[in-house]
Amino acid sequence: MSVTEQNTHESHDDHGSHGHYAEGGNHHDTPQAKHRKEHIALWLFIGGDAVFFMLELFFWFYLRANNTGGMWRAANCTKAAQAAINGAGATASNMCTDGLGNAITAPITKAAPIHTIAIAVLIVISAAFVWFMEVQARQGASRKATTPLAGLALIFVIAAIVWQIVQFQVLPFTTVDGTYASTFEFYMGSNLAHFALVLTIALGVFNRSRKGLFENGRWYQIHLSRLFWVWIAFSSAVLAAVAVLFA
Amino acid sequence: MSYESKHEAIDAEVEPLISHPGPLHTRAIGKILAIWAVFTAIGIIIALFLPQHLFPVGYGTEQHDVVLTFVVFTIAAAPVAALVYAVTFYSLFAWRKKGSGKSDTPPPDGAPIHGNSAVASVWIGVSVVLVLFLLVWGMTELGAETQTEANVIRVNVTGQQWMWTFSYPGTGVTSPTLIVPEGRQVKFQVTSEDVAHGFWPVQLGVQIDAMPNVTNLISATPNKLGTFAVRCSQICGLYHAYMQTTGQVVTNAQFAQWLTNHGASTSSVKSYALSGK
Amino acid sequence: MTTTAPLLEDTKLEPKAGGFYRHQNFLTGLITGIISAVVFWAIAHATIQGSNWGSDMVVTVTLVAWVVGFNIGIGSFNAVLRWTLGHDQDHEDELYAAGVGQGWKRYFKFCTDHKVVGTQYLVLVMVLFAVGGTLAMMIRTQLLTPHSRFLSPETYNAIVSIHGMVMIIATIIMVSGPFANFIMPIMIGAKDMAFPRLNALSFWLVVSAVPPILASFLLGGVDSGWTTYAPLSAQSPMGQDGFAITICTFVCSVTVAGINTIVTTLTMRTTGMTMGRLPIFVWGSVIAGALGLYAMPAFLMAQSALITDRVVGTSFYVSMQGGTGWLYENTFWIMGHPEVYVILIPPVAALAEIGSTFARKPVFGYKILIAGMAGIATLAIMVWAHHMFTTGWAPNLADPFMLTTELISIPTGIIFLCLIGTIWRGNIWTRLPMYFLYLFLFNFIIGGITGIYLSDVPVDQYFHGNMFVTAHFHYTLLGGAMIGAAGAVAYWFPKVTTRMLNERIGKTAFWMIAIGIQVTYFGQFWEGFQGMPRRVANYNALFLHANQMSTTGAYLLMAGWIVFLYAIVHSWRNGEKASANPWHAKTLEWHTLTPVPLENFLVDPVITTGPYTYGEPDPIPAPQPEPAVVGSTSSQEGAH
Repeated sequence: MSVTEQNTHESHDDHGSHGHYAEGGNHHDTPQAKHRKEHIALWLFIGGDAVFFMLELFFWFYLRANNTGGMWRAANCTKAAQAAINGAGATASNMCTDGLGNAITAPITKAAPIHTIAIAVLIVISAAFVWFMEVQARQGASRKATTPLAGLALIFVIAAIVWQIVQFQVLPFTTVDGTYASTFEFYMGSNLAHFALVLTIALGVFNRSRKGLFENGRWYQIHLSRLFWVWIAFSSAVLAAVAVLFA
Repeated sequence: MSYESKHEAIDAEVEPLISHPGPLHTRAIGKILAIWAVFTAIGIIIALFLPQHLFPVGYGTEQHDVVLTFVVFTIAAAPVAALVYAVTFYSLFAWRKKGSGKSDTPPPDGAPIHGNSAVASVWIGVSVVLVLFLLVWGMTELGAETQTEANVIRVNVTGQQWMWTFSYPGTGVTSPTLIVPEGRQVKFQVTSEDVAHGFWPVQLGVQIDAMPNVTNLISATPNKLGTFAVRCSQICGLYHAYMQTTGQVVTNAQFAQWLTNHGASTSSVKSYALSGK
Repeated sequence: MTTTAPLLEDTKLEPKAGGFYRHQNFLTGLITGIISAVVFWAIAHATIQGSNWGSDMVVTVTLVAWVVGFNIGIGSFNAVLRWTLGHDQDHEDELYAAGVGQGWKRYFKFCTDHKVVGTQYLVLVMVLFAVGGTLAMMIRTQLLTPHSRFLSPETYNAIVSIHGMVMIIATIIMVSGPFANFIMPIMIGAKDMAFPRLNALSFWLVVSAVPPILASFLLGGVDSGWTTYAPLSAQSPMGQDGFAITICTFVCSVTVAGINTIVTTLTMRTTGMTMGRLPIFVWGSVIAGALGLYAMPAFLMAQSALITDRVVGTSFYVSMQGGTGWLYENTFWIMGHPEVYVILIPPVAALAEIGSTFARKPVFGYKILIAGMAGIATLAIMVWAHHMFTTGWAPNLADPFMLTTELISIPTGIIFLCLIGTIWRGNIWTRLPMYFLYLFLFNFIIGGITGIYLSDVPVDQYFHGNMFVTAHFHYTLLGGAMIGAAGAVAYWFPKVTTRMLNERIGKTAFWMIAIGIQVTYFGQFWEGFQGMPRRVANYNALFLHANQMSTTGAYLLMAGWIVFLYAIVHSWRNGEKASANPWHAKTLEWHTLTPVPLENFLVDPVITTGPYTYGEPDPIPAPQPEPAVVGSTSSQEGAH
């Protein structure tokens, strides 16, 4: 290719005076350049997570619609239903049973919605605090204003994690109780994994706010954190809604 | 040096480096077309003679269709492959200087062709036509295959690690080998006791997976008497390689006799073998 | 080219007090990983073993501990930790992280220099192919005779499955790992990739992903092929857990690498390098990266649901409890089909560069070629159920999926058009890289056309699950993609290793490989025609001759690859020193020094034309005033 080369490259000796790169990244980047890269990267990552999220929805509705052997929630495991399910060629011995030949005569209890909804609310509130924190930081708020908000966001994500763990304990079913139970617990595990990612970010945002690293217009990392946080809150809320409405 | 004279000086320097299109251009196309014609002919001859020897002898109409489709698709593909091979083959003789492979200096630059919309349009247009042909052929074939005929006969196929069991509904007969009558559509109702298996009566030219808690349907129409292979085509664990049995195409009379010999009542044989239920 | 700025890599770094992370390397990673695995194994064994969950949970916990421990030990998460603590890296930290002042040791550390990462990937790829290739030879040796007792069925199944997965990993990273990392940033005039630390992370994630799948052999193996269909895989031996952990880790690596490639291309092009002036290789890397980003989460979903089925008794794939194997198959192939194009597109893009350089012509149909690659990627998302034609799932969807699958032959045809259009009326320079383009064209016609047979549902009802399918995908993935990768290695060898690849040895290897491929895989087509299923340890005597042909070819093929490996290693150590642009090529990577300086260019390039200006006289730059410079020599005039 045709190249006309210009000497635009400064000597590296000048860079020692820049000191710590609070924003991290390549020291050749202007803040705008760095922000643009991170912004695109974050959306790409969210895109990938969105594929995973949509597959989670697919799993739920596919298994529910198929209701193989009546074992979605064993909701219609009456004799008549079993006869209808059996169809040509399928063996009757493993319909609506626990797999060991013990017939299942009662439906699997739905999970209490209170927990599912509470967890979603907690993570949404957590995201709201970060959003508010970003608004403050954009207006040039000091660490005294932003840190409590970061702290609250952190507390609420911890609360969401704790409540999610509690929900595991109080579930009226276990993973072996059919596909509703399996998919519900998978959603819970997915929440834990995603909330753990948010927790890492929350710790960092809180600590950095405390150290004043978001003062003087350096709010961009809060912005990126907020975007991710909102995505997690949104996707968790949707999963919660599906789990409650389409049990 | 003025700007213009700089231009001329550089042009003069660069000029010998560019190879120019000459009268060879149309001769090249002619030669390539000739090579293409030869390659296409070879491809078509291969298509007409080779597949039928490579495939096993078919015992069902579906297998015959497989071979036919294979031959037709190969004939359709021959000119495409031939064109690519003709150009690449020709390039090594016409556009390569001897010794270039050992040279550290590159040959002079070739013609600065960035593209050709006419060629591209034709190429894409022909591809679309070919694809449409493939699709219509395939859809027609598949449509014909999925019709259920009036005198269809049903056979239950159960796969499990690592054997096949065939049963004939209504007659109470089960068998480890697959016996089917000639000349009628046989509808296999396939399921599995455990993991996914692949029910593949090879020379009948069809297959379908055996899935647990599901009955999959596939039809074949045996049209030749004799023995065929039934193999498992979906890896199913330790002895997947051994999950094979034989099948046999017999006459209607032999089929009825076989059922009776295996304990079917006369009435069930009558209703099953005759009414196609 | 002259400069007064000292080369960055000559910078002296003083040892830093309290900089423990500067002592982290592969060894610390290994040790931390092993200790974590042992500790968590002990905890899991004590608390879980003997309970309802048992061995699969213990194995899973142990292997996750290995992966996380290794990455902590080598410093993958240091940046995150430091960010959380508010203790960001300074300039000297960055230079250290980029390997300044560490010599050969930087290749064994978490090093952010994209050239180091690219080189590390190159070595890793060769190791993976050696492992996968050895497994392949064991398969073909077993299949030399119909009732061989060389391998037990259990071992054979494990070898077949793990061979497949190791090769899939190797082929996904074989061009994007070494060359999208090393070469691509230089090609666009950048100093590094957008996220150098993520780059190093993607590499070490793959490294940490390999032991779990190899551990599978010791854990009872994997008996369901590389596709590990449920419900069989839900009840497989514990080796399946190793397999699943490998996948989950590998998925993270590919995701991170894809993001890095895309962002680098979008944001780090040098002045004048518009999207329309990007070399085809960059476009191919971006398209493949985007496709991988879409596909990999599906793999993660399929395997994590499989893990829960195995470890905590969920029933996603177990029909007795409400699940279905079809769910696994759909989710898997939603990944599996795009994934083969993630494998194929980067080598094809590299071959376009090779075609241009060695025919001394522009790439034919630049825009159409990009549209073709993008078209393949888009259609790839819509064809997955052609792998499920014979599963009994949704028979009504057979026609639509047959349509989308057959449509893919249109953009594939465009790729052929552009490759032979590039050769058309060129002046062919038959150096080694060009050999691979020709072999690709030959092989991929066969691979592509055999795919068309398989896309026809009735024909697939004969060929599904039989050796014809195996031959088809080996023609496309080995005969096509891997040959393209070999071409990429031969092409960029001088820039990456600073030496010329010995062509005499390389061309010998080439012919062995070329002939080996035809013999091996025509043997397998023959097996398929005759009706031999795939993944079988023993077979009917009917198939003897076809198998003998295939095994003979395989030995020749393997020998060819070994000779190629020898050429690489021998030339890397003793080869003739390469000049900066031995191929007299036009793309930007050839217009910097060999060896490439730390920040790739001593002066930032400014681009004024597209990359394929063969046959055109170099333009005379417009008259410019002398630039005002700070502390350096004046710029040159004229074009390079």
